[in-house]
Amino acid sequence: MPGALAGMRVLECGGGAAAGYATKLLADLGADVIKVETPDGGDVTRRRGPFPGSVPHPERSGTFLYLNANKRGITLDLAQPRGREVLARLAGGVDLLVHAIPPAEMARNGLDVEALLRRNPGLILTTISPFGITGPYRDWRAEELTLSNAGGWAWLIDVDAGGAEMPPLKAFGQQAHLQAGMNAAAASLAALLARQLNGAGGQHIDVSIQECVMAFLEMNFVHFSYGGRIASRLGQRLVQPWSILPAKDGLVFLLCVEEDQWRRFVEWMGNPEFAQWEVFADRFARASTWDALRPYLEEWTRQHTVEEIYRGGLERRLAFAPVSTMGDLLRDEHLAVRGFFAEIAHPEAGSLRYPGAPAKLGATPWELRSPAPLLGQHTAVVLAEAGYGAAEITHLRNEGVV
Amino acid sequence: MSRGMAMTRPLAGIRVCDFTWVWAGPFCTMQLAHLGADVIKIESARRSDTLRRLPSFADNEPGLNRAGYFNQYNQGKRSLALDLSTMQGREIALQLAARSDIVAENFAPGVMARMGLDYDSIRKVNPTVIMVSLSGYGATGPLSPYIAYGPSQVPMSGMSSLTGFPGGPPLQVGLSYGDPTGGLHGTIAVLSALWHRQQTGEGQYIDESQWEAALTMLGEGLIAQAMNGVAPPRDGNRDPAMAPHGTYRCAGEDSWVSIACTGETEWRALCQVIGQPALASDARFVRLEGRKQHEDELDATISAWTATQDRWAVTQRLQAAGVAAFPSMSAKDLSDDPHLAERGIFVELDHPEAGRRRHIGIPYRMSGTPVSVQSPAPCLGQHTNEVLRDVLGLPGDAITALRDKGVLE
Repeated sequence: MPGALAGMRVLECGGGAAAGYATKLLADLGADVIKVETPDGGDVTRRRGPFPGSVPHPERSGTFLYLNANKRGITLDLAQPRGREVLARLAGGVDLLVHAIPPAEMARNGLDVEALLRRNPGLILTTISPFGITGPYRDWRAEELTLSNAGGWAWLIDVDAGGAEMPPLKAFGQQAHLQAGMNAAAASLAALLARQLNGAGGQHIDVSIQECVMAFLEMNFVHFSYGGRIASRLGQRLVQPWSILPAKDGLVFLLCVEEDQWRRFVEWMGNPEFAQWEVFADRFARASTWDALRPYLEEWTRQHTVEEIYRGGLERRLAFAPVSTMGDLLRDEHLAVRGFFAEIAHPEAGSLRYPGAPAKLGATPWELRSPAPLLGQHTAVVLAEAGYGAAEITHLRNEGVV
Repeated sequence: MSRGMAMTRPLAGIRVCDFTWVWAGPFCTMQLAHLGADVIKIESARRSDTLRRLPSFADNEPGLNRAGYFNQYNQGKRSLALDLSTMQGREIALQLAARSDIVAENFAPGVMARMGLDYDSIRKVNPTVIMVSLSGYGATGPLSPYIAYGPSQVPMSGMSSLTGFPGGPPLQVGLSYGDPTGGLHGTIAVLSALWHRQQTGEGQYIDESQWEAALTMLGEGLIAQAMNGVAPPRDGNRDPAMAPHGTYRCAGEDSWVSIACTGETEWRALCQVIGQPALASDARFVRLEGRKQHEDELDATISAWTATQDRWAVTQRLQAAGVAAFPSMSAKDLSDDPHLAERGIFVELDHPEAGRRRHIGIPYRMSGTPVSVQSPAPCLGQHTNEVLRDVLGLPGDAITALRDKGVLE
């Protein structure tokens, strides 16, 4: 069955997790994504890992393999004029070009917005940059860590017992980049739809990673603009219980957002006396007296296993949760029944299980069709499709353009 | 209808029948409103949206229409008050679904079916509808009957077990992270289904498990486990491929700067900026492996330099030398920032009850079909009359009759 985006042609360059994830989301639903990498080492995520046996190898980086399955890969040296010519020709034949080349380097890499749109007036050109392509910080350097701080997220991540001595913390992985990738995919799809729905033409979409992080701040920005309160990693939570506590055999997460959930939890614990006390009367009171309440709940959680508390919670319509390890997830029965993990063999990295569909489209299923490309694996075939003859391709290869 | 530039926005003409509440679903449909769709939120005062009842409220005065959390994540939508526990309420909901391109819901599993508003029922009256259900565990599998919340997805997805300081406990991440990742992945699925419908005329049902959507954000950890049988350790602010890489205390109360040194060039530049050029040739620190091995010493050296300086001064010096650095920003810092103001990420919305308030707007600009927030989040039931009249074509006396029966509450 063809994917929802079958027939959509996409070009990606500049590397990194943000552009990589944006086009992965499209490739997994059937778009034909051509990934352009530099001949000298390729995408930066090829050097990131994790690697089998922790031995670095550009064809075995788990991050690269995950972000680039279902894509075809070519190499192109954009520092050379001939390389930029090839890119312009390829961009002339696609629906969407997504890249993460910094604003100051766009033009010299053949990615001048005006020129690309002149050549292909229907092109959707989506650029992802740390701070956007305008404003005083546009040319500042940034990485995942500095972006999770720039967007206000690190400021909020609870540091637990360490308190004020501990610095603001980033979450695991490259979340800010993935968030930007999602926003880029959504905006690009909307622009492509606009061509059909409303007769719109091509256009440029300017995605700022910093702003994408801000868009995820939950109630924490409006705490300031509505209530004049500055939320921080040191502050109390809005409602309680909303915390990780020790169970008999591990850690478990307790959550009661609504009062009826708290009442069911209290009943489950056998209606202990403390639950009647005025200081724990409602969810906001429990948040402000959490240090006092916590030991009482801990006394109960320590008498039960994680599984008892999690399953018992589910049966009582309480969204309690285990603190899963990666191993727990790969072994999980529910995820297995739903076929969440997808396995595919890669010539250099072997057969691996990857996270699968973020959503299941009934009529046009998500599909893992091919592993991530080797560096330059599809150069010849993609250039041939773009109309280059065999002699021309050999010439480009000899000149180090591809 | 005075909806400004509606005809030039990308999803102009697309209608969304929105049953969602709390954060994940409303975040999904707000993206569609941002992009120009007419999103009609069906809600009831009988069981109002959780977000309408959570602080902070405008000027700290509680009220269903005064909650910042709700108003942040329902921008640009219309509100139809409808009591779905009544037969007539459900009939009206079905009529609206029949006249919509997209139906979205994130009730507990089974609720839509009990109301006769599941995909099979809606498809009978709207054969090309795209319907998305965002649930905790998905529509199939042994855990499908159960509920999950965004905050639970953080520990359940493994995000907690990977986030924290070395030797410290697994942590929350300060957000109900499973909600926005579920919501935005849902938006992408809906837009993809809409693309497919444009090409083929075929609608479809989208089954999203928020848990699975959250797991797709953790590929790096899951694949490490699949490859080597071991998950990445909790490593604070450090990075396997960069050093120095941390967040350092600056002068002033609770003031911090984050610094990420990407390679050898940046390392040498940093040594110059901190006034210790000799460090660049120090045998302990010449390559990444050396710097990772001696990272504690490295961090102590950098902390000693940042501790006496303003975080913005540190940032500007390092940026001038090509090193990634940025202060750790609070909500107030963001609100005061000149770059963000110039970018136009904030929207000041005049809300009838909350007053003029600042919100985070749309994190991208579109040159050809400009997107902008058209209206503040709706008051509960603010658009009931106009939706019933203009979308469903109900005459005034029919609306009055429904109101008298309490269906529009």
